[in-house]
Amino acid sequence: MLDVQNLKTYFTTRGGAVKAVDDVSLQLDKGDALGLAGESGCGKTTTALTIMHLLPSNAEVLSGKILFGDVDLLTIDEERLRKEFRWKRMSMIFQGAMNALNPVFRVGDQIRQAILTHEDIAKASAWERVEELFSLVGINPDRARDYPHEFSGGMKQRAIIAMSLACNPDLVIADEPVTALDVIVQAQILELMRSLREKLGLSMIMITHDLSVIADTCNKAAIMYAGKIVERADIVAIFKHPEHPYTQGLIANFPSISGEKKGFEPISGSPPNLISPPAGCRFHPRCPYAEEICRKEEPEIVEIKRGHFVACHPKK
Amino acid sequence: MQRIKLKGYEKSIRKFWGQYMESKLGLLGLSILLFFIFISAFAEVLAPFPVGPMQGDRKAILKPPSSKYVLGTDELGRDMLSIIIHGGRVSLTIGSLATLMTALIGTLIGVSAGYFGGRTEELLMRFTDVLLVIPGLPLMIVLASILGATFWNMIFVIGILGWTGTARVLRAQVLSLKEKPFIESARAIGASDARIIGRHILPNVLPLIVAQMVLRVGSSILSASSLSFLGLGDPTHLSWGMTLHYAFSVGALFSNFYWYLLTPGFCITLVVLAFTFVGYALDQIVNPRIRRR
Amino acid sequence: MGIGTVAIKRGVNAIVLIGIVTVINFFLFRVMPGDPTAMMISPRMTHETRRIILHKFGLDRPLHVQFLRYIQQLLKGDLGISFIYQRPVLDLIVERIPNTVLLLLSSFIITVILSIITGLVAAWRRGSKIDISLIVFGLTLHALPIFWLGGLLILYFSVQLDLFPVIGISTPWLEHPNMFSYVADVLHHLFLPMMTLGVGNIGSLFLITRNSLLDVFSEDYVMTVRAIGVPNRTILFRNVLRNAMLPLVTIIMMRLGFIIGGAVTTETVFSWPGVGLLIFRSVMQEDYPVLQGVFIIITISAVLANFLAEVIYGYLDPRVRYE
Repeated sequence: MLDVQNLKTYFTTRGGAVKAVDDVSLQLDKGDALGLAGESGCGKTTTALTIMHLLPSNAEVLSGKILFGDVDLLTIDEERLRKEFRWKRMSMIFQGAMNALNPVFRVGDQIRQAILTHEDIAKASAWERVEELFSLVGINPDRARDYPHEFSGGMKQRAIIAMSLACNPDLVIADEPVTALDVIVQAQILELMRSLREKLGLSMIMITHDLSVIADTCNKAAIMYAGKIVERADIVAIFKHPEHPYTQGLIANFPSISGEKKGFEPISGSPPNLISPPAGCRFHPRCPYAEEICRKEEPEIVEIKRGHFVACHPKK
Repeated sequence: MQRIKLKGYEKSIRKFWGQYMESKLGLLGLSILLFFIFISAFAEVLAPFPVGPMQGDRKAILKPPSSKYVLGTDELGRDMLSIIIHGGRVSLTIGSLATLMTALIGTLIGVSAGYFGGRTEELLMRFTDVLLVIPGLPLMIVLASILGATFWNMIFVIGILGWTGTARVLRAQVLSLKEKPFIESARAIGASDARIIGRHILPNVLPLIVAQMVLRVGSSILSASSLSFLGLGDPTHLSWGMTLHYAFSVGALFSNFYWYLLTPGFCITLVVLAFTFVGYALDQIVNPRIRRR
Repeated sequence: MGIGTVAIKRGVNAIVLIGIVTVINFFLFRVMPGDPTAMMISPRMTHETRRIILHKFGLDRPLHVQFLRYIQQLLKGDLGISFIYQRPVLDLIVERIPNTVLLLLSSFIITVILSIITGLVAAWRRGSKIDISLIVFGLTLHALPIFWLGGLLILYFSVQLDLFPVIGISTPWLEHPNMFSYVADVLHHLFLPMMTLGVGNIGSLFLITRNSLLDVFSEDYVMTVRAIGVPNRTILFRNVLRNAMLPLVTIIMMRLGFIIGGAVTTETVFSWPGVGLLIFRSVMQEDYPVLQGVFIIITISAVLANFLAEVIYGYLDPRVRYE
């Protein structure tokens, strides 16, 4: 359904070009939930914004294709994108969704505006849809008349989810949807997203730095580091047989109640500067297995097993 | 060779100046101000003709600009250029002194409200609110009429009404400073309120006060010129506003004495703009709010 | 809670303020150095006459008695008699209020419309040449004495180009066959003073609009509506404008006094027969009852205008209703 090929998005800054997304490729089939994981600043959000065509003015897409079905989103004109794709085929739940609602308008009105932007129906019918959406996400439909500041954090998140479903999209991109919430509410929201996905047959891209969230909701995962995809596979493969040292580091630090007690082994070093990333493999300064070739050559992404892609020089 | 160790505050002055130099507007404003201050200071030397009421040239009343009288003459035959030069001194002095008064009152009220909080704060802020609602110029007009139109009265009238903005800004700043750990530790040590305010709070709000003051001089000068224009200025101290008042009263508008009207107003605008630029540059450096858009 | 509660709270606040202001007004005019009664009774009268009138007006009574009298008179609408015109002050004021209101309202509309348009253009094309020139222009307008701007406009458009009349609200010797011609004449006279006040007050309003818009543009909820696919124009007029206008209302509230002051000097320059010109004349002629009366009326109007602005703000920003 969604095929991202060799995407490159750079930002122009005073210090130079920030290579935020550097040759990223992803694939999503209908009904998939892809977890896009990585540290802050590794390019996950920028990838999402590029797909949604919401980049700021200092960003530029240098190359690549974003095939939604058989349409390349990067080449169609803005009007067509707006009318056919925005919210109707793909929607997004932004990072820090707390502020995604305009404080001076009622929550229901804002969702209704989303519906009316794309469908020519009566205002009253649209309001009914809004109330249905509220029930769907577990909020009392009467609350649609309230203003955002009257909602709790968890409720706001549910409202945002409701908004993202307003036009029955095929794909929902969720950027850190539960990061700002406490653990119990987190679990509730994730459960909600899981059941909605099932009920509505949604495809999803779940962006987060928290692997537990991915484990909970996704069936595929892609790990990003410094603007590049380092590993991509289905969820069981990632957790049981991580191939890339970075992934292994992340999984290793993943605490498990049932597993044995082990100390934390944080990955040494810090994320690289994206204006001038390290030569060769971008992870090599922090990699415990780094060899000569890693310092010189960038590894290609290779399908080592069926459906399991890694970008790493094979150990000799 | 002896090594010269820079003291702490000398270093920060250098740093500040370095930052200030980066602001083109700030430098422009500063140069304009220095120009006017220079002219005002040396008015007696620079003005080509005397400006006493009896010293006008009776044969050159209300003449347009010529080679002798570069900016024309007024209704008493006095040279406009000289009047403007002297007027600058009056206007700048009134503006600065009134602002000084504003700063003192504003600091007193703002710091007290922010530091002591509680009833004091509420009372002071209520008081500030009342003053904010009353329209400024009419109140100044009333005060000036009652007290009489003299140089010092004008300074007083402008100063006593302009401190509200400064008080508010300072109170906000003090409120945020109060929470900082170094204040708490000073209190734990047992320092008295006076000591804390004097040693810890005031030095930290000083830059903000200065930035506020610079911005306020502009509006003080504008208020002074409005009051003078309406006839409430001191006739013995010819400010730019008063010059405009006389221009108006001799019918400069009807009779097209454009030289009488253009120059004083232009100078007022230029000086106020200069203060605005400088104040803006200072504000950029000094204001704790960092906005990134 | 809702808008009603906001209105009531603010209304009570306004009434308290009016009370305070009335008291201030009372004491203000009695602090004159020298003879405090010179405020009430023209010093031009003979000593005997003054004594008689002093007694008649109860000005030889203790202060608190005078104060009560003062309140009584205020409530009756008695603001005293003008020294110069020998007519009730209230009448003088009431005659001139419509002229001032006309000037203030028309110029206010111009100020707001121009500020919003220029603020929008500047924010939309941030950093461009037009943005920078608008900022410089706005700062210059802010630094101009408004009455000087009026003088300049008169010099150029009235005296040099003879396009507009120089002063007044209507041509005195002209006979008007119908209402239409009178209105046209008034409008002809209104144009320059209206533009003076209208443009002169733009200064800070433009800057605030621009900054407020820039802030709102970078908010998450704007990105959300862009993602939804709402067309740009709708975003601007529906989702952005309301949020961006909030600081504008606040600033207008704060600058109300300044706007009124500008009206005073502008009326003086144009001899526009309004309340501002009355203040000027009463200052020049030492007509203190008029000055006192106008001052209290202006101040009460300012308090009421403030109250109105607070209620409007409460309507625009729902967060305020739930304190």
